[in-house]
Amino acid sequence: MILAVLFANVEGNILIERFSGVPAEERLHWRSFLVKLGADNLKGVRNEELLVASHKSVYIVYTVLGDVSIFIVGKDEYDELALAEVIFAITSALKDVCGKPPTERLFLDKYGKICLCLDEIVWKGLLENTDKERVRRLTRLKPPTEF
Amino acid sequence: MAQPLVKKDDDHDDEADYSPFLGIEKGAVLQEVRVFNDPQLDPRRCSQVITKLLYLLNQGDSFSKNEATEVFFSVTKLFQSKDLGLRRMVYLIIKELSPSSDEVIIVTSSLMKDMNSKTDMYRANAIRVLCRITDGTLLTQIERYLKQAIVDKNPVVASAALVSGIHLLQTNPEIVKRWSNEVQEAVQSRAALVQFHALALLQQIRQNDRLAVSKLVTSLTKGTARSPLAQCLLIRYASQVIRESANTQTGDRPFYDFLESCLRHKAEMVVFEAARAITELSGVTNRELTPAITALQLFLSSSKPVLRFAAVRALNKVAMTHPMAVTNCNIDMESLISDQNRSIATLAITTLLKTGNESSVDRLMKQITNFMSDIADEFKIVVVEAIRSLCLKFPLKYRSLMNFLSNILREEGGFDYKKAIVDSIVILIRDIPEAKESGLLQLCEFIEDCEFTYLSTQILHFLGNEGPKTTDPSKYIRYIYNRVHLENATVRAAAVSTLAKFGAMVDALKPQIFVLLRRCVLDSDDEVRDRTTLYLNTLGGDGEVVETDKETKTLLFGALDIPLVNLETSLKNYEPSEEPFDIDSVSKEVKSQPLAEKKAPGKKPTGLGAPLAGPPSTVDAYERLLSTIPEFLDFGKLFKSSAPVELTEAETEYAVNVVKHIFDRHVVFQYNCTNTIPEQLLENVSVIVDLSEADDFAEVLSKPVRSLPYDTPGQTFVAFEKPEGITAVGKFSNTLRFIVKEVDPTTGEAEEDGVEDEYQLEDLEVVAADYMMKVGVSNFRNAWESMGDDFEHVDEYGLGPRENLAEAVSAVINLLGMQPCEGTEVVATNSRSHTCLLSGVFLGNVRVLVRLQFGIDGSRDVAMKLAVRSEDEAVSDTIHEIVSSG
Repeated sequence: MILAVLFANVEGNILIERFSGVPAEERLHWRSFLVKLGADNLKGVRNEELLVASHKSVYIVYTVLGDVSIFIVGKDEYDELALAEVIFAITSALKDVCGKPPTERLFLDKYGKICLCLDEIVWKGLLENTDKERVRRLTRLKPPTEF
Repeated sequence: MAQPLVKKDDDHDDEADYSPFLGIEKGAVLQEVRVFNDPQLDPRRCSQVITKLLYLLNQGDSFSKNEATEVFFSVTKLFQSKDLGLRRMVYLIIKELSPSSDEVIIVTSSLMKDMNSKTDMYRANAIRVLCRITDGTLLTQIERYLKQAIVDKNPVVASAALVSGIHLLQTNPEIVKRWSNEVQEAVQSRAALVQFHALALLQQIRQNDRLAVSKLVTSLTKGTARSPLAQCLLIRYASQVIRESANTQTGDRPFYDFLESCLRHKAEMVVFEAARAITELSGVTNRELTPAITALQLFLSSSKPVLRFAAVRALNKVAMTHPMAVTNCNIDMESLISDQNRSIATLAITTLLKTGNESSVDRLMKQITNFMSDIADEFKIVVVEAIRSLCLKFPLKYRSLMNFLSNILREEGGFDYKKAIVDSIVILIRDIPEAKESGLLQLCEFIEDCEFTYLSTQILHFLGNEGPKTTDPSKYIRYIYNRVHLENATVRAAAVSTLAKFGAMVDALKPQIFVLLRRCVLDSDDEVRDRTTLYLNTLGGDGEVVETDKETKTLLFGALDIPLVNLETSLKNYEPSEEPFDIDSVSKEVKSQPLAEKKAPGKKPTGLGAPLAGPPSTVDAYERLLSTIPEFLDFGKLFKSSAPVELTEAETEYAVNVVKHIFDRHVVFQYNCTNTIPEQLLENVSVIVDLSEADDFAEVLSKPVRSLPYDTPGQTFVAFEKPEGITAVGKFSNTLRFIVKEVDPTTGEAEEDGVEDEYQLEDLEVVAADYMMKVGVSNFRNAWESMGDDFEHVDEYGLGPRENLAEAVSAVINLLGMQPCEGTEVVATNSRSHTCLLSGVFLGNVRVLVRLQFGIDGSRDVAMKLAVRSEDEAVSDTIHEIVSSG
């Protein structure tokens, strides 16, 4: 299960968050934990360079793209390598939508589109689509090209 | 289609403060929602409003029931628009709003229409939305369409239906299970993701049918999974089949060859999954491990942090059970100590600490010292714990390890980190006698500058117990007395108690201690003053060099043998009166300690909770429980407690299980009893034990439970004496005896008169293995050689005809109750000979090592050569006696 997908800006403010299978009372704890993790480790990290951490049986893979930090939390079958796949799908789609590593402003400009991409990639904690071309077409309600 | 909210060009990107959502307000956005009701819909404008709604929801704004309903109804109007981009946004916002069941009906018909639409993408999205908001009754209506969708030729539609199936399986399993045939067909799909999703769903549908999962895996391992993701799932399912068949099959593992072939897959994800699956096989042999370790070793030098992390984490796990298998990777791991990712570096260090040998300890410590300064406390704690285990493994290296611990103790750090270090030093002092004096001095120096009251008091308490037993107790007095001057009241009180302990134990120091204690009589804190006065009065001799009486020592060193809960209850019930509170009136009975409770079924962890505290060690808990019963105090130190043995069937009126506690000359049975009948109260519950088949044992006492109300576990104990140094075995038949009283279900009160009754329990055996503790060694050969052959005893035995070698090996392991080492409990199929290595600690804390060599001939007769080495000749002989009589 992919437990959380979270986008934050440089100051650690949440831009988008999606939790799945996480009780509401634990979300705040995770939000602040992830933001702190980013503040401690993401300084000077190159775009899309993956960082990884684990806590008990939960894995966290996170990175930075432009002004946006991206965190994915998973457990069970979504271990660090599966999450790397998920975050790769997300960063590719994000670059595709924004045309480049986004500034915060650009990210917010494309907010609706990004929400749609995320909806195609992760659905209620399961990975659904990985290919950016396909994601782009699906967000426009176009069938995938290979079909 | 979603458009940017504000027309802009890229120059605006530099304006960091500018946000298209600047000043956004929920009230205003809710007003804007009205545009959804316009007769002439403007798709662009509507998309913008939906985006704003999404932004608000993502920022943690919540809509009241009325607001949400209003928005939801307005959104449903948007189904009139044919604009694709807007429709896509509508699907998304409906999912986000999660309408309540009475509202869902409004969109159901629109969504059902979309679900049968000719536009494929409408179908896919409508399925996802419907499955998100649907309930059981609606699901039966749309089931037919969903089944069709699973085999739809458009992969997006099929995937949408399959993933919906995975979610719906949690809420409506009986419906989803009916889709099995369609899902089976989808597993054969040529579309990679469809196959991946179908495989996941099919396995979940069939997870309780072992044979079906096994067939599924067999058929798929022959073909090819079309994506690395599906291949990873297949590896997981294959290892599940291996795990489940481990108990029933002997010989070659099924699917091992498949796992091994996956190590050569081109996707790293698959290689890692296979390697990890192999390392986690139960009883994995070195031969099986080698290719997996080699694959993981290559990942250690990967440029991708995720791969390095995954590999070092997997190797860290292997190192716990097979440290020797990982030693080849040590050089690669040493280079990871300087890895930028601190998680990777910490895992590398702790793995090295597990796999390193005695000669590499010093070099390793040097590297770690540099590393410690730049990691966070939580990582430091992991390292400290690893160092503690290393020190216990190589006691000769205590000097450098203790030095390391005391150095880091002086550096900056939080409470948990400091506590971990102090705990480690205390454990080392306890287990390595040579380390005691230097360790105590390190602790003394630490409290000179310790900012944590809790740690200071703990150390002072420990000093009071251990300090007086050293060769020169006087050197600690200065450190302790300094606390009286420089600390807060809690620490001062602890220091006074510690001083008193020195005074009580070391008669020669008594006059000086009296002088120091008298200086505390006028302390500003009443607790410190009270303690001082108490000790000055009880130590006796008015400062003379005289022996302290036993009563005072009990006061200072004795444990409070009353459960604190009982004391608290009694104190609360005590009403101030002329009569002083009498501590002897407090019950010493331990109430309901559910030590052997069955696992709560079906409780799934949420995964992301606050970290669960690990369960306290069961042996410690038993030790504490037994030490609260004064009758058992003379039995000495508890050697071993068995796992609970059930003496009743499940679902009976009274549930009883028993734990066997083994002491040097005694055996105590702890019967954990639960009364499962609400209308009954049991009193004076005891177990009558018949010893006719246990000649070596003599019952010395029986301790009944006074009262056993419904569903509150209680313990009754029966203790037996047995000859020292003899592995007495026997069979005990047990009968539960009690007085039963009826309970009025309305008032919950029991009747006054009860009836005596009995209840037959299953028999219980004490076997030779009960006197042996399973304690493994990391390197059997080293341990064997260092033990020496002084007390070696070798003999040969014929075990008679057996099914195969594996059966013979497991029978001997069970008979001796020892820990198999280095995976030697696994016997290769069809092999004619096998060597098995065992290690354990025998009653009296005698280490024992056993080397078993088995051979089987054509007529399946098994012969065994048993070589035993131990620290005591009598124990070596006993092991042979156990085997010859077993």
